Amino acid sequence: MSPSDTALRDPLTPRPTLGRPDDYLHSEHTLRSWLLTHDHKRIGILYLLSITFFFIIGAIAAGLVRLSLIVPNGMIFSNDTYNRLFSIHGIVMVWFFLIPSIPNTFGNFLLPIMIGAKEVAFPRLNLLSWYIFMVASLFTLADVVIGGVDTGWTFYAPFSTTFSSAWVVPALIGVIVVGFSSILTGLNFVVTVHTMRAPGMTWFRMPIFVWTMYATSLIFLLATPVLTITMLLLLMERGFHIGVFNPAIGGDPVLFQHMFWFYSHPAVYIMVLPGMGVISEVVPAFAQRRLFGYRFVAYASIALATVTFLVWGHHMFVNGMSEYASIAFSIMSFVVAVPSAVKVYNWTATMYKGAIKLRTPMIFAMGYVGLFVVGGITGLYLATLGVDEHVHDTYFVVAHFHYIMVGGTSIAFLAGLHYWWPKFTGRMYPEPWGVVAALFIFIGFNATFFPQFILGYLGMPRRYHEYPPEFQILNVLSSVGATILGAGYLFPMIYLVWSLRFGDPAPANPWDAKGLEWTIASPPPEHNFARVPQVDFEPYDYSEREQRT
Amino acid sequence: MSGAAVPVGIEVAEHFQDANQQRHAAVFGMWLWLATELLLFSGLFLVAIVVRVMYPDAVTAVALHLKFWIGATNTAVLICSSLTMSAAIELSRLGWRRGMLACMLATASLGTLFLALKGYEYWRDYVEHMTPFFGFRPYVLSGDRATQLLVDDYFIITGLHGLHLTTGVSVLLGLAWIARRPSFLRHHQHRVEVFGLYWHFIDLIWISVFPILYLLNR
Ligand SMILES: [Cu+2]
Repeated sequence: MSPSDTALRDPLTPRPTLGRPDDYLHSEHTLRSWLLTHDHKRIGILYLLSITFFFIIGAIAAGLVRLSLIVPNGMIFSNDTYNRLFSIHGIVMVWFFLIPSIPNTFGNFLLPIMIGAKEVAFPRLNLLSWYIFMVASLFTLADVVIGGVDTGWTFYAPFSTTFSSAWVVPALIGVIVVGFSSILTGLNFVVTVHTMRAPGMTWFRMPIFVWTMYATSLIFLLATPVLTITMLLLLMERGFHIGVFNPAIGGDPVLFQHMFWFYSHPAVYIMVLPGMGVISEVVPAFAQRRLFGYRFVAYASIALATVTFLVWGHHMFVNGMSEYASIAFSIMSFVVAVPSAVKVYNWTATMYKGAIKLRTPMIFAMGYVGLFVVGGITGLYLATLGVDEHVHDTYFVVAHFHYIMVGGTSIAFLAGLHYWWPKFTGRMYPEPWGVVAALFIFIGFNATFFPQFILGYLGMPRRYHEYPPEFQILNVLSSVGATILGAGYLFPMIYLVWSLRFGDPAPANPWDAKGLEWTIASPPPEHNFARVPQVDFEPYDYSEREQRT
Repeated sequence: MSGAAVPVGIEVAEHFQDANQQRHAAVFGMWLWLATELLLFSGLFLVAIVVRVMYPDAVTAVALHLKFWIGATNTAVLICSSLTMSAAIELSRLGWRRGMLACMLATASLGTLFLALKGYEYWRDYVEHMTPFFGFRPYVLSGDRATQLLVDDYFIITGLHGLHLTTGVSVLLGLAWIARRPSFLRHHQHRVEVFGLYWHFIDLIWISVFPILYLLNR
């Protein structure tokens, strides 16, 4: 035990034994105690269940899209059905899975614990945020499944305001309302980090996960309201013919793209930054080494949250924007790659000469680093003006952002889920099955999306379900990969549920990891700490093992 | 003003260490909320400014049709309401409950006056055919297409601001209702301060709306 552990081990907290009556899971059992809880840990679990549900819906829609693309002539679904399927996939995955995925689940559960607080600053607001999320997301889901929306997740005007005959208005209302859930969560996190840190928990003693949550929350706060107003303007135009975007009634369609991407590019970092936070926790724990360049990784998080507001124009290179604006946005998009690369180098340097334990979270994390690099570098291709002319709106773009969103965020989500599963539930997951799932997902993912880079480069446009027959082989390959990927996702859903009953009881710190969350019992007691911890150690304090080698 | 000052303070919630931490969290949280509100409006301001740069003549035509004197009066009304709100906050710190309540009600009345004037202004706009989005009515500036976006923007900005003010007046009346209890200031004095921030912010938004829509290119 290193000095920090002994200092922190609270004599009042007994050693963990399963089924202790006062941990947060077992203190109360009624449904009411869950639905009216103010406990940030329970709210995190509520979010975890909700977003898993939405992930399944989005994944089914993706499966149907891939099914349709097996044949080139679009025989399986009608045009309309296909448009609705990819819209369900995009809307559900972006708005109801990816954006809330890591912040609202792990963030809610872990952020207060990691800074030594009993709660988030505004517990009731936190619960309200979950209710807003549930009402808006179920409402939107009913709309896109029963009514159908064919605009994709981007709701481009004037198609969405004037020409689409689908149920656009309820979907817009849903997206507006769910934004408030993001804003409230972001607000809660920022205030919590500023005001609730334990004595001695200085800014540069916070784990990187907290830094990335902080950066993400800033984006929630500063970008989401712009989305709200954009969606509101769409609503005005579609509902009341107040012309803002449709040129026929006095509007400007490019204005929509500026406003939409001013939110939606930073939203990419809402999805990416939390994943980076998870990886920054997992890699040091399984390499048993201090995170290389801690301060740089912390600064890089804030840099990403800042520069990300200045690059939205790279979605609009081909819409007639001025050349100078295009060049400026292109350069800024290259700049935003620098902090991302800093992080990749730091994770790699952390692993170098570490005592690497290849457990499931680490396998996911290593997969993440590789896939994130591919996604990031192809992003630079797209930021290059000449190349973008050629591949914009093709499957190259689709493959690029899936490498970031699936290869990055979803895999980081799974890494974190396995890493903190013992802490959340007090049970260990079955290790061999975890390894199998990680391998299935890695192979399935690459088989699905790598062919799409080639398809896009050869010129297959996105969002069409008919394509020339010579593209069929690559499309079939992609669909087969999607099946493997789907199987990979199915494993954790089964064995994690299984482990709730049959898994081994988890000790307080099964990974020998550092950080305040590992100094309290698994699952944590209701108020996290019986006594406010005094923090007198640096983050990722693995010095003991480093001295041994 | 009857009665002596009542004790002032904050009832500390379980998860906070002390009253200072709780007050800091509440005030800081409201500032962050206001930052989101600012971004909500900024897109609309940007539209107005971009239209002004691109089509200055159209903007002049629109500005001449807006009711400058109603807008100017409303600006004065809101500035007065901010003054009464500040007074309410000061009195709440001193524990002068009745004076605070009177100032809160005065603030709410001024807010209502603003909304009434704004409603009258909308009616005048309607009468003067300044409503391009009503298909059944001719539009007075239909000769100049570029005016339409600015007029639409005008209605959306002022409508959204009116919505915020309506919310503000409702919350203020609710707060006054709770604050009529003698124990309110002992437990929840910071709520008056936090609400005050929101009220001043609505005021500030209008102080930006007025020059951007009514004054520029007039
Ligand atoms: Cu982008």
